[in-house]
Amino acid sequence: MPGLDFLALLQVLARNEVEFIVVGGMSAVLQGVPTVTRDLDVVYRRDAANIQRTLAALQSLDARFRIRPDLSPNASHLESTGHKLLNTKLGRLDMLGSIGQQLTYEDLIEHTDETQVGEFRVRVLQLETLISMKEELGREKDLAMLPTLRATLAEKRRLTK
Amino acid sequence: MAGLDEGVEGLVDYSEEGVDLTLIRFALSMTPEERLLDMQDCVNSIDAILEQNARS
Repeated sequence: MPGLDFLALLQVLARNEVEFIVVGGMSAVLQGVPTVTRDLDVVYRRDAANIQRTLAALQSLDARFRIRPDLSPNASHLESTGHKLLNTKLGRLDMLGSIGQQLTYEDLIEHTDETQVGEFRVRVLQLETLISMKEELGREKDLAMLPTLRATLAEKRRLTK
Repeated sequence: MAGLDEGVEGLVDYSEEGVDLTLIRFALSMTPEERLLDMQDCVNSIDAILEQNARS
């Protein structure tokens, strides 16, 4: 796996006009949570036009399923609500049709903020929602992150008072 | 015998749950792009060390 370049990865999605929301660890990092992640998780809009734009972006990234390196994602894969865990030439990219309790792009959009990242703007899941979802999921890996997420949210609120 | 922490009281800042608030303040002082690049450098450095260790 070559060195990660998440900025370039986001740029490819943005330039192809893919409608997506950054979720998971990367959404935390972008909002100031001191943590690390090895993949970029995004929930994407699953309508026909966006699936075509997403496919174009994934083809330019030479995206392959991590457990099936011989297989590239196609429109049928992207139409599903499931998780597509991919390797790309710029790093690991998880294309998620839904997260949590089957929440889709349309369900999440009102819980996002547009954030300037370099030359482009990306939609990022709000920290408050990320915390709520991790509390609901209740898995050990989610619970372990909660103190840091909560402390960052509290510090952000203190700074904006 | 002096305690190990003698002289450094007040020089740390943790949340009630034990999170180092100095790291959070540092992350919040950066732009989102800087946060992403800082995190990426961190992961790439860890990977480079792991790779070097695997070779030795």
